[in-house]
Amino acid sequence: MKNTIVILLLATIGYYLGTIFFGIGFGDAHFANGVKDTYLALTTSELKVANTVTSIVVNFRGFDTLGEVTVLFLAATALGGILYKKRHAVGERTVLFPASSIVKSGAKLIFPAIVLLGAYVFIHGHLSPGGGFQGGTIIATGFLLMLLAYDNFSVNHNVLSFIESFAGIFFVAFGLAGLLISGTFLENFMPVGTMNDLFSGGVIPIIYILVGFKVAAELTGVIYTVLHEKD
Amino acid sequence: MVGTPVLFIAIPLLAAFLIPLLGMIWKELVRIIPGLVLAYMLVLSVSLLSYVLENGPIVEVLSGWAPPIGINLVFSAFSGFLVTLMSFLGLIIWIYSYRFKRNVDFEPSKKYFILLLMMITGSIGIVLTGDIFNLFVFIEIVGISGYALAAFYMGRNSAEASFKYLFMGSLASAFLLLAIMIIYSQLGTLNMADIASKVHLMDPTYKVVAIIFFMAAIGIEAEIFPLNGWAPDVYTEAPGPVGAAFSGIVVKAAVYAAVRMVYTLFDVSGTYDFLLIMGLITLIVAETTALRQDKLKRMLAFSSIGQMGLVLIAFGIGTLEGVFAALFLMLNHAITKSLLFLSGSYLVFNSKDKYIKEVNGLGKFMPITSFLFALGAFAIVGLPPFAGFWSKLSVLTAAADSNLILIIALILIVSVIEIVYYFRVVNRIYFFKKGESVIPQRPTAHALLAMITLGAIILIIGFYPDSITGILHKASADLMDKTKYINDVLSAK
Repeated sequence: MKNTIVILLLATIGYYLGTIFFGIGFGDAHFANGVKDTYLALTTSELKVANTVTSIVVNFRGFDTLGEVTVLFLAATALGGILYKKRHAVGERTVLFPASSIVKSGAKLIFPAIVLLGAYVFIHGHLSPGGGFQGGTIIATGFLLMLLAYDNFSVNHNVLSFIESFAGIFFVAFGLAGLLISGTFLENFMPVGTMNDLFSGGVIPIIYILVGFKVAAELTGVIYTVLHEKD
Repeated sequence: MVGTPVLFIAIPLLAAFLIPLLGMIWKELVRIIPGLVLAYMLVLSVSLLSYVLENGPIVEVLSGWAPPIGINLVFSAFSGFLVTLMSFLGLIIWIYSYRFKRNVDFEPSKKYFILLLMMITGSIGIVLTGDIFNLFVFIEIVGISGYALAAFYMGRNSAEASFKYLFMGSLASAFLLLAIMIIYSQLGTLNMADIASKVHLMDPTYKVVAIIFFMAAIGIEAEIFPLNGWAPDVYTEAPGPVGAAFSGIVVKAAVYAAVRMVYTLFDVSGTYDFLLIMGLITLIVAETTALRQDKLKRMLAFSSIGQMGLVLIAFGIGTLEGVFAALFLMLNHAITKSLLFLSGSYLVFNSKDKYIKEVNGLGKFMPITSFLFALGAFAIVGLPPFAGFWSKLSVLTAAADSNLILIIALILIVSVIEIVYYFRVVNRIYFFKKGESVIPQRPTAHALLAMITLGAIILIIGFYPDSITGILHKASADLMDKTKYINDVLSAK
């Protein structure tokens, strides 16, 4: 009885919300108003950035990105704090099946390519699809592959911590430099160059590279901590 | 001027990223740096607040793009008052927990200080921001730190409490994101002032759905009645200072978000009554539940939820007097409930299950802590010479001015319930015989300093309420003036 009422209630709410969300109609004419046209125009005219998503994420709404980077940093910190006492020492991880030699040599072969692709994605974040978060995640998957293939593969936690901290410190430092030089936090204070050049867009590519390093280090740290958790 | 509002976010973030590095050089820095940062934030907020009270709000543009294109921070009399309160409480909580887990475990204490600092910073960000997506980001920062701090003792119960909070908090984030999406799809902007100026153009169906999602999300964070199932567990299982930070800082920020939505963002009639009714239900349910609790921190948690209900009632009255009363209540509740949590967690320090009956007769063995707990209890129920009296009186006069006689009657009845369960504990502390197995715990000098400061402030506000009411009047007038907020933000360069 109770379940029936709950299901009926959920179905009603679901139907109601479904009609609401189908009615929004993304891409329709009423989207003409608002800030989106300003973003599209300013990205090419002022910032000389080819990828509009990047210009919004790093410049127009760069403060949000700083917050999201902090969320990731806190999640990694929190996980490290909670699983602290349950950590295996390096090389004492228990695996159900050891990886076969095909997986091992394949992982070794593909690992540099994954890291290279990740670096490419975040360095070209202002020119092509992708950016710091995506590139960093790609690099972290490379480390995940190595950790799965080799049960004694180890990552130096201090190095990860250094990369994390330095990337974060420089992100905030670039923001404060914008405050001191141009007058507002995270404002661009470097020449924007010509569009589609690798060195263009002012501080945008620099900040995205920092984000890439930070995300890569943090996700690798998270994967490492979880894999070394005692059962 | 010693800085701009963005430093409230930038400096703590810089410190949080630096702490792991500095901890490698000298372990004590992990404890010292957050204190320096919080002290700087307090100095900055006091100086900015005194500037704002004279010269009108500071609207800070970020990334060089004026609103509505870029994100902006608003430091007005209202938000500035809350930021000052939060920085002050943050500093007090830092002083209290300075020796937390010292000489025991370096790694967890490092995480503790980073997470505590970020929880305070996130709450300040919620209050300062003028952009609804930025609000979402700060709610995430507060949430992630909160989940981890709730699970800090890594026991079975704390894991359960943290998981409950995680589940509810994720639901809140999802709802908030849906509300933001609906608003953006209709108005094409995320800036609060811009939304407020265009909200009459919005289709009423979408507006109502957006408000429902927004209220559900904020209701979870602000502990409004049917959505607050996580709160008592988290308060009970988290370390004492974290409980104080939750009730004094985090919940205040969530209430701010709800109030900003009702007073500035939307123009729907009936939202004030909604706040009033939900506040009333929260107050009655929480206080009657608090009466039945046998664990000290759980009782304080329900009392805290009840007080937030009272704040919502005061905001729901919707008049200038109502807002004034609500702000006064928020100030007094933040200080008094923090004192109760901080002293209460020393009273049950060595007990495993934290039962109320274990405080029996501790008045002789822990005279200062017991005295401060009693002081907090007297202040929170609203006895005359203490701070709580003035705020409760102002709620009642605000309700009387609006002819809400039934509300006055209910608040008074609930106050009697409150007196019963607080005086029961004070009675046990002073007039019962101490149990054989209970070991009293000497508070550290830092903890004593923090608690005595809070106690002194309760007495100062109690004897000289005029010292604070001037600021509160300006802050409440600032919240009521919606057109001025919109003009100030949209004319910022």
